[in-house]
Order: sequence, then structure tokens, then C-alpha cells
Amino acid sequence: MDDVIIAILRSATPLVYVTLAGVIAQRAGIWHLGLEGLMIAGACATILGTVLTGSIFSALLIAMVICIVASILFWFVVEKLKANQIIAGLGLTGLGLGGTTLAVESIFGSQAAVTAPSGLPRLGAMFGAYGTLSILVLLMPLFVFAVWVLLCRTRFGLRLSAAGEHPFAARSVGVNPGRMRLIALMIGGVLCALGGAELASGSLQFFSQNMTAGRGFMAFAAVIFGAGHPIGATFAALFFAIVGAIGIRAQLVFGERVPHDLLLALPYLATVFGIWLSARLRGGVKAVTGFGELRDS
Amino acid sequence: MTESIVSVLRALIFIVIALALCGLIFSVAGYSAPDMFRAIIDGAFLRTGALQQALRWGLPLFITAAGVVISFRAGYFNIGAQGQFYIGAICAAFAADWLNGLPAFIVIPACFLAGMTGGALWAMWPGILRLRSGADEVITTLMGNFLAVIVLIYVTSGPLKDPSGSGQQASSRPLDAAYRISTSYGVSPTIIAIAILVGVLLWLLVNRTAFGVLSGLAGRNATMVTWQGARLWNIGLASFIISGALAGLAGTVELMGPNGRLASGFLPAHGFTAILIALVANLSIVGTAIVALFFGGLASAALYLPVIAGLPSSAIDITNAAIALFITAKSNIVDRFLRNWRKRGWTT
Repeated sequence: MDDVIIAILRSATPLVYVTLAGVIAQRAGIWHLGLEGLMIAGACATILGTVLTGSIFSALLIAMVICIVASILFWFVVEKLKANQIIAGLGLTGLGLGGTTLAVESIFGSQAAVTAPSGLPRLGAMFGAYGTLSILVLLMPLFVFAVWVLLCRTRFGLRLSAAGEHPFAARSVGVNPGRMRLIALMIGGVLCALGGAELASGSLQFFSQNMTAGRGFMAFAAVIFGAGHPIGATFAALFFAIVGAIGIRAQLVFGERVPHDLLLALPYLATVFGIWLSARLRGGVKAVTGFGELRDS
Repeated sequence: MTESIVSVLRALIFIVIALALCGLIFSVAGYSAPDMFRAIIDGAFLRTGALQQALRWGLPLFITAAGVVISFRAGYFNIGAQGQFYIGAICAAFAADWLNGLPAFIVIPACFLAGMTGGALWAMWPGILRLRSGADEVITTLMGNFLAVIVLIYVTSGPLKDPSGSGQQASSRPLDAAYRISTSYGVSPTIIAIAILVGVLLWLLVNRTAFGVLSGLAGRNATMVTWQGARLWNIGLASFIISGALAGLAGTVELMGPNGRLASGFLPAHGFTAILIALVANLSIVGTAIVALFFGGLASAALYLPVIAGLPSSAIDITNAAIALFITAKSNIVDRFLRNWRKRGWTT
């Protein structure tokens, strides 16, 4: 049983951090499809940073700075240049995927996976079988709680929601919606860096091209599935992770009778199911963007 | 006329800003930005045979991008072109495999039918989920892309596996030469004719039919169209199906033309580039044809860069992504600039 829970925690933790970033952005009125790009940038920066500086903490710092800078760029494009959030988000994701490939190739001269000598600090022997998990796994509930407090129990959270739901009302009481979104995206950048770091450095300590494999988009789906609420979205992310872990378990138990490719597809199928279910339950999720905006008149 | 000049100028200005961002990224990564841009332009447009290469990559991109135009115009963010492209190619490959041995004039049309049907079906399930339940099509089509990649891996290493194939990439059995519509070089009269046919038909569909007008209106104001008595369900589903079928057609063209076989993970940037083309062209069919050639050139430069110039091909991915980041920007800097210009006596 322990190994199943460990597997679930291992795949859920990166997803939850990135999901929290998506929740904060969603509250501020931004559909954040750049999560995938920020996550892979965080993963890449953590591993390359560890290799180049030798210290995991400076690597984490580099990852956070890069993700914050990328978030500010995204904010500028979406808020100041009024670009379409979905397309700009996909662009940010493309920059993350391409940029990390370029960085690896420029530093190591090939596209092969990069292995770091050390990873995130582990929990240690006092946690028994769970000692191999990184401290970010233990900190995850704290982060969920902190984001919940921030969004649902503080004045800042209320203003953030106002900026997202009714910018005009927010402005009328002296809140600057643009600035609220900037802060939301910067916090999200830090969380994405942590999620990427956990993914790359929490267990195996390597980085390879496209290693996020759609997890950022899954996190975005978890935000929708969880109705933009930190607790709900966390459970949605856990659900996706559990489905993945059950698939791996099924293969261990039933062996070759379960096709390997079906297993790979399970998390994506679960995501489609989650989106469908949440739309059914809530009578349709509508994108915030007017689609006609895409075209100039 | 001024309207369209302004929108072209606006697109160009944001592309320049995007390229500046690329230059910054290249420099940070330790490459010389001017060298990189020179190599990209050289690879895309200046070396011998560049036009032919731009056509080889641009024509399939145009077909997919024209489909993207249809769904975006109708107001649906079908960003699953990549998945529909893969499923189309896979269905065509199955058709070619089953009918192997029959004369080409039966097999080739059957493959095209299979490919277009496959692409259309792969676009239909997100479409139905969207129209019936309101499930956001951005996520479902994205997940469809990842699922299609898995299906492609399964097919190329399972049912259609080439037993003689070795090396890192799993691939399917090659198509019989009689069923190919072009050589590996990639441009043939058949492919050009298909692209022209698609272009003409879609131009007529968009500009000369009730569907074109209604779907364009539905994309701007769905409520109004419903109140005027049009069936949003029909328009929506039709636009999903058309865009999927065109992506599937492009997949079939790539399979039966230049590629000749399925390889796992082939042309991974096709769908994203097609979306980009549709947006840069401001969702017009004529514009899409022109812009597709430009991005076709860029796509061919991705092969040129590592071989000739010794530079990484991910530079092209970065260029495309940066353009995507900025291309929908609505800032009216350009409009303001033009207005001032005219005030100062540009027209007099």
C-alpha cells in the first residue's frame, strides 16, 4: 500500500503546485495556458542550475526568477497589449518548450537528458518508507492551505477575485485590476517553478526535452474541474494523479494483459472526463474571451 | 483598404517585436542572434531550391491552417489540429495497408476518404462535448493531441510496425511506390492541385455561402445568430468537422506524399504552426495561403539549421512561439501612429 501512496504523492505534488498557480491566475481573471511552459522552464532551470552551481537552493532561486520574469512577460502581453489569453498562453508554453531545448543544447551540445548530481532535500529516515520523498511533498498541504487562506480569507484574495470577476467594480473602490493580475501571475510563477523543480528534481533528478508531457495543461484542467477553488482544484489534481497511479498498479498486478499505451493515455482520458463532468454539473464552462476578438474588423 | 493595411502593419510590428524577443533568448542561450537570423533567412528563403522547400512544407500547412480558420471563425478554439492531423494520417495508413495490392486509382481515393474521415471524427468528439455539455474545447482538443500521439506510438510499434525498421524511431511499413502522390522531395502537381482545390472551395465556403456568413457571425455574437433563427449546433458541429477533415487531409498528403510512411512523433509542430498561420493571416483564406508559404519556408529552415549552419533547430520553434505570444495583441499603437502620420500631411 505504501508504494501506491508514494507513487500517487510523487506524481500529484508537481501537479498540485502548478494547479495552485492556475487557481490564483483564474481568480484574477486569466486563463493561464502558459502553465506548461512555466513548469518546464522551472524543471529545466532547477536541473541546469544544480549542475552549474552545485547548490539546489541557488538552482531553485534561478528557477523562480526565470518563471517570474516569464510571468511578467505574459502579463505584459495579455494585460497591456490585450492579446488573446489562450493563444498567448500557448505561445508562452512554446517558448518554454523550445527555450529549454535550446538551453540544454547550447550548454551540453546535445539534446540528451541531463542528470543532476543532487536533488531536492529528502524527508529522511524518520519518515520510514516515505523518507525518499522530497520536502516539497511535505510542504504541499501547507501551500494549499496558504493559498486557500490567501484567496478566501484575506482582503487581498477578495480584491483579486473582484479584479477577475468585475474589474470595473474593483476599480471603483480603488483597486487596480492590472496590478492585481501582475501579482497573481508572479505568485503563480513561483509556484510553477516549485512544481517544475519537484517534477525534475524530486525523485530521479534529471531533465529531458518535453518532460512535462502536458502536465501543465492537466493542471489547467484541474483548475476548471475544481471550479477555481484551491481545495477543489487540489482534489481534481489528486484525482488525475490517482488515475495515473492506478494504471501503473494495474499493470504490475495484471502484467501484459493491460496494454502499456492505454496506461499512458489514462491521465489524459481522466482529464477529458473531468472537464466533461464539471461542464455537466455546472451547466457549461464558458471561456472568458470573446472569440470574435481574434479577428480584426 | 486602409483597414486591411493597418491590420497588416499591426501584424508586422508585433512580429518584429516577437523576433526581438527571440534575439534576446538566442543571446542569453549563448548564440549570436544576427548569425542565427541570417541562417534562418538563408535556410528559409535564399538558398537554392528554397521556394520548392517552402512549397513542400507550406502546402500541407495551408490545408491544416484553412481548417483552423473555419473553426476559429465560428468561435471555437479547436487547437487539436495536431491530433486530427495524426489520426488522419493513421487512418489513411490503415486504408493503404488493407487495400494493398489493389490498383492505385482505387487505393488513393480510399486513403484520402479514410484520412479525412479520421480527422473529422477526431475533431467531432470535442465538438460534441462542447456543443452538448459545454465542455471547454481548448482542453479537450489539447488532450486529444496527447492521445493522438499515444495512438501513433501504438500503431507504429504495433499493428503497422515495420519489422525491418531499426534505429530509435518506430515507423510503419512504407507505402507501395504506386500509391505515393509525390517523391520524398515533396512537391508534385497532385499536391499543388489539392491545395488549390482546398483553397478555392474554402474561399467560396467562407465568402459566398450562408454557412460562411453565419459562422463568421456566430464567432462574433452567438446570441444574435441564435435569435435570428440559425442553428448554432449545426454551424458549430460543421465547423469542427470541416476543420478536422482538413487536418486529416493534410495528414494524408504528408503520408502519401513526402513521408511515405508513418513515424512515431513525425512533424510535431505541424498543428501549432497551422494555428499560427491562421492567426497571422487574420483568419482570411487568401491570407492563409500567403502566410503558409512564409511559415513553410521557416519549417524547411528547421531542417537546414542543424545540417548546414550547425545551429539547433529549436530556434524555429522559439521563433514560432514568440510570434504566437504577440500575434493576437490588440494594442492600437499602429492605428494611433498612422493617424498621427496622416495628420502631419502624409496624404496631401
